[in-house]
Amino acid sequence: MLKSSHFTIGLASLALSAFLFLFAIPTWVTTPGNVSNVVLSPVFWPYALSGVLALVGAGLLIMGSREIVAAPDDAADAPAHGTEAWMRLGAMAVLMAVYAAAIPRLGMVWASMLAFAAAAFLMRTRHPLPALVSAVAVPLILYAFFAHVASVAVPQGDFVRLP
Amino acid sequence: MRHLVKGATIAAAVSVTASMAVAEYPERPITMVIPYGPGGATDISARTISEPLTTAVDNPLVMVNRTGAGGATGSVSVQNANPDGYTMLFARVGSHTVNPAMKATLPYTLDDFRFVGVYEINPVACAVHPDSGYDSMEELVAEVNANPGTVSYSSSGVGSLLHLAGAMMLREFGVENPVESAIHIPLKGGGAAATAVLNGTATFICTNSSALASFVTNEQLKPLVVTTAEPVVGFDAPTSADLDMPQLQRLVGWTGIAGPDGLPDDIAATWGEWLAEATSDEEFVSKMEARGSVIRLMDPVESQEFIETQYEVFRELVDDLGMRIEG
Amino acid sequence: MSFIDSIMAGLALVANVESFLALAIGVTVGVIAGAIPGMSATMAVALTLPFTFSLAPITGILLLLGVYKGGIFAGSIPAILIKTPGTPASSATVLDGYPMAEKGQAGKALGMALYASCTADLISNMALIMFAGILASFALNFGPPEFFTLILFSLTIIAGVSGDSLLKGIFSAVLGLLFATVGLDLVYGTNRFNFNDPNLMGGLNFIAVLIGLFAIPEILNMVWNPASADGKTRSLGAKWVTFAEYKRCFRSIIRGSLIGVFLGSIPGIGAAPSAFLSYSEARRKSKNRENFGKGEIEGVAASEAGNNGVAGATLIPLLALGVPGDVITAIIIGAFMIHGLQPGPMMFIMNVDIIYGMFLGLIISSVLLLFVGSISIRAFRYVADIPRGVLFPAVMVLCVYGVYAVNNNIFDVGVMFAMGWLGYIMLRANIPAAPFLIAFILGPLLEDNFRQSMLMSGSSPWILARGPITWFFWTVTLITVVAIVRAGVKGHRDARRQRRAAAETRAG
Repeated sequence: MLKSSHFTIGLASLALSAFLFLFAIPTWVTTPGNVSNVVLSPVFWPYALSGVLALVGAGLLIMGSREIVAAPDDAADAPAHGTEAWMRLGAMAVLMAVYAAAIPRLGMVWASMLAFAAAAFLMRTRHPLPALVSAVAVPLILYAFFAHVASVAVPQGDFVRLP
Repeated sequence: MRHLVKGATIAAAVSVTASMAVAEYPERPITMVIPYGPGGATDISARTISEPLTTAVDNPLVMVNRTGAGGATGSVSVQNANPDGYTMLFARVGSHTVNPAMKATLPYTLDDFRFVGVYEINPVACAVHPDSGYDSMEELVAEVNANPGTVSYSSSGVGSLLHLAGAMMLREFGVENPVESAIHIPLKGGGAAATAVLNGTATFICTNSSALASFVTNEQLKPLVVTTAEPVVGFDAPTSADLDMPQLQRLVGWTGIAGPDGLPDDIAATWGEWLAEATSDEEFVSKMEARGSVIRLMDPVESQEFIETQYEVFRELVDDLGMRIEG
Repeated sequence: MSFIDSIMAGLALVANVESFLALAIGVTVGVIAGAIPGMSATMAVALTLPFTFSLAPITGILLLLGVYKGGIFAGSIPAILIKTPGTPASSATVLDGYPMAEKGQAGKALGMALYASCTADLISNMALIMFAGILASFALNFGPPEFFTLILFSLTIIAGVSGDSLLKGIFSAVLGLLFATVGLDLVYGTNRFNFNDPNLMGGLNFIAVLIGLFAIPEILNMVWNPASADGKTRSLGAKWVTFAEYKRCFRSIIRGSLIGVFLGSIPGIGAAPSAFLSYSEARRKSKNRENFGKGEIEGVAASEAGNNGVAGATLIPLLALGVPGDVITAIIIGAFMIHGLQPGPMMFIMNVDIIYGMFLGLIISSVLLLFVGSISIRAFRYVADIPRGVLFPAVMVLCVYGVYAVNNNIFDVGVMFAMGWLGYIMLRANIPAAPFLIAFILGPLLEDNFRQSMLMSGSSPWILARGPITWFFWTVTLITVVAIVRAGVKGHRDARRQRRAAAETRAG
């Protein structure tokens, strides 16, 4: 993993630079018609950055290709992770997306309670009972603080409103 | 638990029978969105009126700063909110007349909002550095016409009142094409814009008199003109009446309250009453006037007309000068 | 009025119970707010502002200053304990503070953060009292070209926080610069990478990026490998910071304080760049350079000195010129104006008692910070004893509340999670996150000041070298870059020699 990391990042950097140059900047950065000078144009800075990115990518590639021989025994140190770990990561991604989407519908407090419990489960907590108690208590305490002390309009959701 | 059940019942009642809820409006806290950051002119104005307003409403007002894109981020969140009167917006000259007049791609128009009242007017003043040698707008304009591209003005960003005000003042005082012959230097925020004139980055600035007051008192900036007919305290400069230029009076800042377009008539009327009560509070008036604001309450209909007229004036100017931002 | 008279007038205003009470309450509120991620010192000051309306001017201003000071220090508490900077200013503290907590030295790190903060605070206040006039007129010489060169120089900090691979650090920085371009164009107001979405028009929320980049990857790492926490108790230990350690870091603290004073007196820079600059200078000068980023106490001291050194100095442009240096001082100006006070040169003549009352109050606040800070550390350090299976989900929920509260926008929660995944990929690929963050802060400043300079000069590049200040920064930038390149080449050669030696040993 580590031995080719410079090389891989170099490739990614070049690909990103090409993507910016050929597609992203022309499509997603608007240039008005009345730009008086090229250095003042909105696209000047993004193009300059893409250029630097390409240079860095080239540098990383050169470094990476030189050190293929190095550090051959790194792989042995890395702990073995099965598909299970990947599944947990995937589940966490789903959890985060559902959490963010649920806040306006369920309300911040209820969504947070569910997310807390699910995350503790995914981390295979060894203290299930304290985790469950915290899952209920922490969002409520935070709500009390943010809504009533800091007077933040914490999203309430469509179902159960808190005072 | 009993509270929760009660809350649930109320929530259900609100969502199912909106008309019933209106009859009892307001029965829960009202969210007031401030589309600019803490400490700015809009924020201070909003938080100052929130005190007498809370007394009038008899229900908590939750003040919410939702900053970004010259007021657009906060404005859009109210545009998309339920028009039930529980999400209202502090609209400002920048977000609701200059921005819509200048930006073709703005995600909202004036028609997306219903204004329930304008409560504050801010005179606009133009000022230069005392060492600049300019004593009047005429001298400044003469320099712009004589040497195009040497005079610059600072603003708090593209599409801000300051941006439009600089161009509009030059134009009114006789510069044919201010966009070409004067340089606009956008900065981040009103404070930075004033500093730019202090340290010589820009030649002049046109903004709310309250933003310039302390610099004028300290003789760090010299005012050249004030757009209102009445003089502004502490500003030793000709007014639009002195100059016999009444058209300048349209260039003023204002703060008002708006809801989403579908806001029912009775809620708008209720807001008109609340604002009338709040703006008659003496402590509120004296606080606002200490900062250079003029308290002037307009009812919902008058507000709508005032804002639309100002929008038309600005839009015409933007079209004439080719200042519109496309894309 | 003589100097002594002014001080006596100030003393008459401050020497009463209300003033002390206001300061103590302010510092306490600031410490609590600063310790909560997402509740920045700015928000705490803004929320306190309405309470000052009914107070006497000096009491109200002291209350706000207390909140400000407390908030800036307390940001270091979650930065050290849960890798979530409470305020942007404490992001540099994460670099060494969190590794120290991992090693069971959280108490030591927190203690050093407090001592460094109080020392820097005191120095900054002294600088304010003695040099306000001189520094303010100097700061007014900073136009866009001077800013541009200063920020260019500040970007060399990246080399100091890149870890073992400078190229990876630069890659990370360029990514940060690219993410900072999202939003509306400064000069033309047109769309840049925002897909016409109003939530993106204002750019990516800074706090959301910050928390996403630092806190969320830790959580994902825990999900990836729950066993990693087994058998690793992170008890604080009874270890408190010793005087010998404080003495060892003293040079870095003084240097950091002076950097803070200098950058703080220039409007528009803020505490985060100052903390990073102080950190990288300390690393450059330290004998323990290798240990930086792995839990070096001097790194914590330097970062905290850097950000607290700013706190008193930002009042220099405020009082001497009426120019707010950052958002917090802009709010404090609001408090002045509500009481009919107009900051600026005239205030030193008209309201000299208030000015000197403030000065005295500031000095008292440094001492109060020491007391309130040590109490709060004792209260907060139990956080380190919470089992991770409970702590990490709690951190996630806390981050969601905090990020939402910054701008009342759920979209920012999404931004935080997305940045969290980016941060996690970077963590796995050994790409340092700190350069990304520095570039994200400095990038817009660099670009804006460049373009403002070009507008001023009609696109002539010579304006970027228009005076002694710009020449100075061009020179130090050049010297630093040469030094970095030389050190990089040398390090690369050494590493290769070592590898070759290692390979030969293995082969033999």
